[in-house]
Amino acid sequence: MDALILELKKEIIEVLNLEEITPEDIDENAPLFGEGLGLDSIDALELIVLMEKNYGIKLNNASEGRDIFKSVRIMAEYIEKHRTK
Amino acid sequence: MNIYIQAAAQISAQEPLSHAWFQHPLPLSERYVRSVEPDYKEYINPMEARRMGKILKRALATSLNVVRKTGINQPDAIITGTGLGCIENTEKFLTAMVRDKEMYLQPTYFMQSTHNTISSQIALHLKCNKYNTTYAQRGISFESSLLDAYMQFELEKIRTALVAGYDEMTPDYFVLLDKINYWKKGEVNEAILRKSDSVGAISGEASACFMLENKKSNLSVCELKGIDILYNPNQKRIKDALEELLGKHNLCIEDIDVVMTGINGDKDNDAVYNELERNLFPSIPLAWYKHLVGESFTASGLAMFISTMALQEQVLPASYLYNGSSAIQGLKNILIYNHFQNKEHSFILLSSC
Amino acid sequence: MMSERILVTGMGIISGLGYGKQATLDALCSKHSGIGKMKYLQTIHNYYPVSEVPMSDAEMMDSLGISSQTIITRTPLLGIMALKEAFIEAYLDKERPRRIAFINGTTVGGMEKSEQYYPDFQNTEAYIAAHDCGTSCEAIAEYFDGFDMITTISTACSSAANAIILGANLLKTGRVDVAIVGGTECLSKFHLNGFSTLMILDKEACKPFDAKRVGLNLGEGAAYLVLEKEQHAKQRGVQPICILSGYANTCDAYHQTASSPDGQGAYLAMHNALEDAHLHPHDIDYINAHGTGTQNNDLSEGTAIMRVFNDNIPPVSSTKSFTGHTTSAAGSVESIISILALLHNFIPANLNFNNPMPELSFCPVKDTLTKKMQHVLTNSFGFGGNDSACIFSKID
Repeated sequence: MDALILELKKEIIEVLNLEEITPEDIDENAPLFGEGLGLDSIDALELIVLMEKNYGIKLNNASEGRDIFKSVRIMAEYIEKHRTK
Repeated sequence: MNIYIQAAAQISAQEPLSHAWFQHPLPLSERYVRSVEPDYKEYINPMEARRMGKILKRALATSLNVVRKTGINQPDAIITGTGLGCIENTEKFLTAMVRDKEMYLQPTYFMQSTHNTISSQIALHLKCNKYNTTYAQRGISFESSLLDAYMQFELEKIRTALVAGYDEMTPDYFVLLDKINYWKKGEVNEAILRKSDSVGAISGEASACFMLENKKSNLSVCELKGIDILYNPNQKRIKDALEELLGKHNLCIEDIDVVMTGINGDKDNDAVYNELERNLFPSIPLAWYKHLVGESFTASGLAMFISTMALQEQVLPASYLYNGSSAIQGLKNILIYNHFQNKEHSFILLSSC
Repeated sequence: MMSERILVTGMGIISGLGYGKQATLDALCSKHSGIGKMKYLQTIHNYYPVSEVPMSDAEMMDSLGISSQTIITRTPLLGIMALKEAFIEAYLDKERPRRIAFINGTTVGGMEKSEQYYPDFQNTEAYIAAHDCGTSCEAIAEYFDGFDMITTISTACSSAANAIILGANLLKTGRVDVAIVGGTECLSKFHLNGFSTLMILDKEACKPFDAKRVGLNLGEGAAYLVLEKEQHAKQRGVQPICILSGYANTCDAYHQTASSPDGQGAYLAMHNALEDAHLHPHDIDYINAHGTGTQNNDLSEGTAIMRVFNDNIPPVSSTKSFTGHTTSAAGSVESIISILALLHNFIPANLNFNNPMPELSFCPVKDTLTKKMQHVLTNSFGFGGNDSACIFSKID
């Protein structure tokens, strides 16, 4: 799980172009959206692409992402359960 | 009706967000020239900047610069012109689409690829709900924006307007336009461009932004007296249109102190200016600027920047003069003449105030 | 002042409903949508319903007498087809006033070819110059010859509406005698994929203003209006069609792709257009909504309509359920549809509507409605919050 969490942090930084942020800066239990990292709806769409591209998990609409992207840990747990890649 | 340019800002091959370079511009000697980037942190926070390609950052920096200088943070109109739009983001999306066969595409690149992203982002930053539009007509994209603003001032629909022109040139798009002879082959410098004996120009990028207002203040740099755009005009149409524009201000062609032309070293492009000189401006000094900032669809925005500096400082240094060698002092009226492939022609009349 | 009115004296249109005003009218009246299975666009995402113009490039070139060797992309071909109809109606094929402006709205431009030849354009270098938006405008202008001024507006889904606004201003300032205004857009993989990544496309026919709506269907098309001042139209002896009574352009300034929850930009566009036309909300007989069928737009626009019209909301329908979302051409496609409705006294149906949106106090018109009208309002809202509205009125 720890390895997946670290990998996920690196991918999030890359795909969302968070240039000034390192994996150590991201608290895996903190909210990703609103507060915490302060991501927005476009970032959510980017994460949906990331899920499919890297882990083979296809989400059907943007609102499905809302619960999955609550934090890095919750994301990792979902991926662990549903990944096909 | 009077329209004043209250502030101007540019990012180009010369020193960005500055006019200190105006009297001593650096000559260009490469055929692919990118703009010098300022430090954007002063204008854009990292969480916003992360999504933005170069053209958007430049647009925000130049527009926020003129907003800060003038204090006009809710202009009645925000109008930008761009020939290619956000080509960097367009390419990123297109490249991924072709390479990955339409799978796993990133929405951010698409979202920031439309031409009107620039005008919208400026409005977003200023939280400005007023008139907002974008023109994309190749070499007269900037002039189209200016004409729209000018007419709205005439119709008394607006009192202030932020008008700008932006174009970026990516390495890949440079290669594409190189295939169709947009750029000079081989070595380039001023002397070579002056010869105008082969096709192609220097590839440049342009970001130029102006805040216009219908009243004079101690900020006023110069006055925008008129603008016109023509399509496929013959020499008579050009003369008639120019005389009509000048006539509105009781001026004639002889009252023009200098014509700022889009001469760029390309033989076909320059031949059109030579013909204009013979027919319309035989005894008026011609100036040029594309040897200092390169060619791009909205380079004429930089012509307007340079012309506003000349009117403010009351001198056009020798570096800008195409015929005649010494600097021109005491300028009252500058005509900026631009054409694109001899199809679209435009002129802008600026005066000292 | 009678001579200051801006009149529409010609209209031309091509869309998934077919070629010309008559085909469009017939489709609207018979509730025959142009949305269906993809036929021409080559993409892996061919499961999305779209509204394609039922003509190939070769067929259009043939019909226009353009040699098959000509380097021209689909966007301007659609434009030339539509403009031809407007030209003839406005007698511009007989005699050309000296100062004619052509204002075109497009965002795709030549991308539909560029994406096929990218990245190298091997043996297709001639299409490199055809890529940018302005080239489409030039290609159309070249076909017709005789324009005094041209330019391109590119504000995504409100481009054509903004072209109408610029044209009107050119007339009011006396710079031109005739303004031909509108937009053209063909389907492309680029924007189909783009909208797909934003997750706002419906895999079935769209349901504007329906509580269960999931997104839009893309469409392609072109439409132009010929505008001129009343006095000038009289002198030319051309039959006026209707009046462009008012218009407005505003910016939502909320988000790059989403509209504000309170529909501020949309509200201001409609409110300011009414002011410009010297009309009150209760004067409007029909709203041709932007109504894309996305969760976000229909809620935002619906909210704005309630704010402007309060308890007196006129009939509303979105004809994107017929034509799909023709993006840069939508403003003029839907203006012409609105004018056809005005002249023929009917309100086009908002197809596929079944479930009222709980947030709204109104439902769209489910079935074609007969109604005598005086003033119609049409909305066009683009990405980036570029919101525009136009009002057309019957000539008394």
